[in-house]
Amino acid sequence: MSRGIPDAKASTLGARAADLLRIIVTRRVVRAFTPAQVSEGDLKSLLTAARWATRASNTDVHRFLVIRDAAAIKRVKMFSPGMLGVPTAIIVICTDPTLAAEAAVQLEKDMTPWIDIGTAAMNMMLVAHALELGACPTTSFSKSAVSAVLKLPPNVVPEFILQLGHPATQVAVARQGPSTRASIDDLVFWESYGKKSRIG
Amino acid sequence: MSDLRYAVRKDEAWELLAYLTASADLCTREPHYYGTFRLIDAASRLMGFMLANSEIADGWLSDFKREVDEKKLWMLRDRPGYFEFLNQVPANIANHMPSEPRSRE
Repeated sequence: MSRGIPDAKASTLGARAADLLRIIVTRRVVRAFTPAQVSEGDLKSLLTAARWATRASNTDVHRFLVIRDAAAIKRVKMFSPGMLGVPTAIIVICTDPTLAAEAAVQLEKDMTPWIDIGTAAMNMMLVAHALELGACPTTSFSKSAVSAVLKLPPNVVPEFILQLGHPATQVAVARQGPSTRASIDDLVFWESYGKKSRIG
Repeated sequence: MSDLRYAVRKDEAWELLAYLTASADLCTREPHYYGTFRLIDAASRLMGFMLANSEIADGWLSDFKREVDEKKLWMLRDRPGYFEFLNQVPANIANHMPSEPRSRE
């Protein structure tokens, strides 16, 4: 950031940060999609973003299953009450207990694999938004049924589904009405818990 | 009025069955108000099947489904309004259901 010094490098960095922040702030969950397909190139960009997400202890206990077949998506949707629209692609993030065991990750006790799912999912959703795709995170589905429908190997658990497609309607922040997000003042304490102001 | 007017097709019945059973599973771990959402969403899906298979257009049901689909999403941003809407839904249906629904008995 510029720190108040208007040199060229600072301006460039400030612009990059502003661009990224704009993508973050304007992203919204999209639940309605057109029938248009998501291109393979766009999917690869999303998966690259997932690959470079932070992960605990640099372990890979997850695998990403990409589904574009409409019939398969329809069957997943049948058991996924959290899927309100009809995405044209989904990415299922699965936990593989064999990989976890090899990495000495204790899935029953360790919450970091879930954090890793979140960082990968968020990276993908931000890239999707930057590509003008719509994305919707989904955890409201029957894991047992989705495992059966997708014929997952025994013990592999579908943890998270990212719905993808081209937005059926223009996603405009203004359309959402007043923000229901807590303000920074409500969310943040400075230096000690409960202290609202940086001054004094 | 034919009893078959609102028949639900086999694939639709399976879809609703899958949805309801998956929702029952989710109710064991999701916030309680999500359960209300699953039920009203299931009602919307049923209305969609009824409309798709109806022999004549049902203007009220079509409008009501549209209203449900709009207001069910209030669960995410206006929970008191959403609960108030849920409170009115059964009465709305009661006021528009056929006067002599046929019993299986």
